[in-house]
Amino acid sequence: MRFGHLLAVDEVDLAVGAGEVVGLLGANGAGKTTLIKMLLGLLRPTGGEVRLFGEPPSMATRRRVGYVSQTLGLYDDLTVEENWAFTAATFGRVRPAIPESLEGSRDELVGVLPLGLQRRVAFAVAVSHLPELLVLDEPTSGVGVWSAERLWEQIRDSAESGAGVLVTTHNMEEAEQCDRLIVMAEGRVAAAGTIDDVVAGRRVVEVRCDDWRSAFGVLDAEGLVVQVRGDVLRVPGTARGIEDLMERQGLRAEVTTAPANLEEAFVDLVRGAT
Amino acid sequence: MWAIVIKEFRQLKRDRRTLAMLVLMPVFLLILFGYAANLSVTKIPTVVVGPQAALVASHLQSPFDVVETDPTANRAQAESELRNGRAVVAVVTGSIPMPVLMDGTQLFSVQTAKGALARMVETEIARGAKASPVAPQVLFNPDLKTSWVMVPGLTGLILLFVGTLITSLGIVRERQAGTIEQLAVMPFRPWEVIFGKILPYLLLASIDLVVIVALGMMLFGVPFVGSIATFGVGALLFLLVALGMGVLISTVSQNQGQAIQLAIMFVVPQILLSGLIFPITSMARGVQWIAHVLPLMYFIQIGRGVMLKGTPITALWFPMGVLAAMAVVVLGLAVLRFRRDLAPSGTTPRLSSSAQEPAAP
Repeated sequence: MRFGHLLAVDEVDLAVGAGEVVGLLGANGAGKTTLIKMLLGLLRPTGGEVRLFGEPPSMATRRRVGYVSQTLGLYDDLTVEENWAFTAATFGRVRPAIPESLEGSRDELVGVLPLGLQRRVAFAVAVSHLPELLVLDEPTSGVGVWSAERLWEQIRDSAESGAGVLVTTHNMEEAEQCDRLIVMAEGRVAAAGTIDDVVAGRRVVEVRCDDWRSAFGVLDAEGLVVQVRGDVLRVPGTARGIEDLMERQGLRAEVTTAPANLEEAFVDLVRGAT
Repeated sequence: MWAIVIKEFRQLKRDRRTLAMLVLMPVFLLILFGYAANLSVTKIPTVVVGPQAALVASHLQSPFDVVETDPTANRAQAESELRNGRAVVAVVTGSIPMPVLMDGTQLFSVQTAKGALARMVETEIARGAKASPVAPQVLFNPDLKTSWVMVPGLTGLILLFVGTLITSLGIVRERQAGTIEQLAVMPFRPWEVIFGKILPYLLLASIDLVVIVALGMMLFGVPFVGSIATFGVGALLFLLVALGMGVLISTVSQNQGQAIQLAIMFVVPQILLSGLIFPITSMARGVQWIAHVLPLMYFIQIGRGVMLKGTPITALWFPMGVLAAMAVVVLGLAVLRFRRDLAPSGTTPRLSSSAQEPAAP
């Protein structure tokens, strides 16, 4: 998929199994949203082929998909009940009962609800026609911890009832909730699999130093991505190289290695792709 | 304050549509309306019937423009010519005084015709010739009431304004709210979205129409002598054009401001160019063609014809046909535009090499 000279998505293979939650992880501009828009038939690929349920996206495939966009796709000037009724009528099903958790807001205009509740409404509406594939674009973006947890409970429930779930995110905590991840960078798949598969045995260097602020300044000046965990600085690279760097700057530091976490592996993958 | 002024100029520089409106529109409107705003009538379509039709027709001078002479036709047929809009004046020869029938729905033309007729008689008398006594009779609007003529036209203008403006916000509002994406992934065909958006407004505008016409009849005593069904068909076609135009504007606008700008640009010229106020035949030739692409002109023909003259549907096939064609074109374009923007995959997306794995659950 090209936008002018920009290759937005290239050679992406993607499979979501029934009952599986797959995370599409990537930085802004990695091609996640473009990819799901192609899957949903909102964008026509400039080359290649998109197939959903084994066929090109069509009216028939739309009936089997539930989608929550970043903007939620709810009508602010309709109540929760009215949004619910609209979707039910669209998919031609006997109107399912509104979830108990939303009963209290049934007659409220969606526009006046807090964002967390709006997201839960959008999710409930998207799954009301029992889709086989659920596509969620940044589902917990902008919501608090409690609301995010509630949403993930609902996502899990949907997967357990047999729906495949595709979640786009750039949030590591959200990504860690997924069964499987597809890491995108520069429009391509940079890594795929479980978190362990994505981390792939990567290690980072841990630096302990009394003058950790100076150590941080030195590492940062080298262009390294530094994570601060308490008084420990974590950076990509080799222990030998970091030790040499500290010595050159006259800093006494204890340098060891440790298994990388998902975020560090992700940063490494993205940097490797650019 | 200067910072705001500079910022405004910078933003304006990038908003080409508003800039064009500010700079080009006044010039365009001045030229357009300057040539359109003309109350003097120079040509009045006239039919002459009865045994001396040819003789009388040869004596008629400008502004009478004889479009037909028929020695075998009678008064009833002459009235029919006026009712069907083929002529504004009909001279019925063969009796004394000679009836000169005039279509009272054409205010300026009738006033001009009356004046011209009086001058012709005076000239004949001055030349010492024996002037034939004439009996001018204004039909359909005997007292030449302006309100009778204006109400059918204003009805159309109000419906055009309300219909186009409201629907022009429909899709663009969904685009701005982000709900358009949701509609696009739902199992709707583009035409279903367009018509789903239009139908509620069509119903409301129809109620509006009934209220406006009823009020016009009650407040101004405007008659309704024709067929309600004929009027209904014409109004329905006109409303489809107005609402369809609104939706088309909505599909080409990026925000509500742009949509309103375009809707106003579509509606305002119709006030002066559709024949609502100024006779189309009096406009400069270069401007007259514009009137013929404006839906309001055709609705005015239907509205005045049916309400005031009782024009039958068979005589209104042309304005009805044009409105139907306009509705098809405008709604078709709206659907095509909507499909291109929001549902590019359709059922047969362009496919080529490099197949991907299915993303099936």
